[in-house]
Amino acid sequence: MASLLRIHALATNTFREAIRNKLLYTLLGFSFLMIASGVLLATLSYVEVDEILQDMGMSAIRFFSAGIATFVGIGLIHNEVDRRTIFTILSKPVSRTEFLLGKWAGLTFTVWLQLALMGIAFAIVSALAGAPLVSDHFLAIALIGLELMVLVAIATLFSAFTSPMLAALFTIGLWMIGHLTRDLHALAQQSDLESVGLVGSWVFQLLPDFEVFNKTLEAVHGLPIERGEVGLAVAYAIGYTGCTLLLGSMIFSRRDFK
Amino acid sequence: MSSKAFQILAMLGFVFLTGWAHARVPLETRADRGEDFVPAPAAVDAASLGFDALLADYYWLQAVQVAGSQQAVDERVARHLGRLVDVVTTLNPHVGHPYRFAAVWMTHSRAQVLEANRLLERAIAFHPDDWRNHFYLGFNHFYYLGNYPAAADALEAAMDLEGSPGYLPRLVARLKSQTGDIEVAEVFLRQMLAGTDDPQERVKYETGLDEIEIEHKARFLDRARAAYRALTGRDIERVEDLVTGPHRVIEQLPDPEPEAIPAPLRRGSVWQIEDDRIVSSYLGARYEVHYSHYGGQEGALFGEETNRPEASAPEDDVREHAEGEGA
Repeated sequence: MASLLRIHALATNTFREAIRNKLLYTLLGFSFLMIASGVLLATLSYVEVDEILQDMGMSAIRFFSAGIATFVGIGLIHNEVDRRTIFTILSKPVSRTEFLLGKWAGLTFTVWLQLALMGIAFAIVSALAGAPLVSDHFLAIALIGLELMVLVAIATLFSAFTSPMLAALFTIGLWMIGHLTRDLHALAQQSDLESVGLVGSWVFQLLPDFEVFNKTLEAVHGLPIERGEVGLAVAYAIGYTGCTLLLGSMIFSRRDFK
Repeated sequence: MSSKAFQILAMLGFVFLTGWAHARVPLETRADRGEDFVPAPAAVDAASLGFDALLADYYWLQAVQVAGSQQAVDERVARHLGRLVDVVTTLNPHVGHPYRFAAVWMTHSRAQVLEANRLLERAIAFHPDDWRNHFYLGFNHFYYLGNYPAAADALEAAMDLEGSPGYLPRLVARLKSQTGDIEVAEVFLRQMLAGTDDPQERVKYETGLDEIEIEHKARFLDRARAAYRALTGRDIERVEDLVTGPHRVIEQLPDPEPEAIPAPLRRGSVWQIEDDRIVSSYLGARYEVHYSHYGGQEGALFGEETNRPEASAPEDDVREHAEGEGA
């Protein structure tokens, strides 16, 4: 219980720190602009206007929220080390694992908050343009929230042992790979060599599969989002986040700050 | 050489290099130069990073701009549009209209029609309840490939779907009885016209309907000609013989141009006899069931699996109708 309170305190502090980051507001501003610009883009087509508007909005939400998660997340621990505040924190009865979890929870809450703001902007633009809005749109946005939770965990992992620049490269790289793993897996399964298929399966299990959380196409085109798939996505997000944070904690515990 | 002089010389060198290179960079894009670059659908799909729908929209808007910027969609442009729609529907197979958009334009060769049919079959796989995709597939089989059984099968699949027109069973019956003629083509074209708001598509279908209207009139004159022969024992020398002299068989010649053409756009066309057939100089050829201005082939444009029977001779029509329509 005491541990949870310490994590909560660290998360609150991280949230306060994150919302003072000007980069967050810049990306948020651009996302609003992109969501609204869907109205203009949609007018270029004489059919599928609502779909184009909402595709644009959903893509802007996914792209900018991933950007915020990555670029705000990678500096979390480095800033503490750089300003030497980490020594003050760790000199108190706070474990390194609690510190890492607090950082992750604070940033996850921050990106969820900005995701909610983007979702509201999306809903307002859709409503003003007369595009249909159903519960599946919000379910798709909630699934983006799960993707961000995993992405923040990955950013936290890399920021635990490397520089912000490298952490950004690794996190962006994994985010991109995370959207390609299904194709890579399918490609490996087509090989005549059994070993290639086997390695492909292992890599597929090891690397994140962010397409699990991508239900924007279904939401925009009014296709049903299976609730069972949503449940599995939640389980996958919790599992992958747990593994990543555990690994991050193990590495961070051995890190020498001298 | 002093370091300052070297810097100035280097600066001049770079300025010259930049200016030289920039002056040679083509200002037009590859598409502007007619290269019509469209990446492979599978490559775009793999590189989309989950933004499939957004990229599909991008390529769809490109297709709309390409079609909208043309005076007439020729074979090259139609091929380009087909590739764009293939990318769009690979990235997002749940789109609706792009499949039919491709089918409308990809009509310049047998290969294009078959490609359009492949896209329509993908549309049917993802929208099995939308009768329009079946209808467009049937239209392609009938109008361009002359494959009546395939056309009948496609329309039969559309018959029971919600929103399908009530005349489809009759159309299927006609196709199954191998009696596809201009009436069938007319029904198809009217439905295609009713189903589109695109100005260029409308022009295409209206042109087809205009040709059918003139063919109806030409067939009327064929029947009058047969009646003239029956009455006088000889053939007409000029089309005007049908309305002049002691053996005239009709009151007046029908308008050789479509009724809908406004007066300022009329060309002063006339009826004439060419290769022993009565034709309007407005078209210069008879409508031969399918889209005649693609070279005027009889029967299917690109068909090789045609099951269409031999076209009935105009004289046969006359025997059926000569007594009824002014002859």
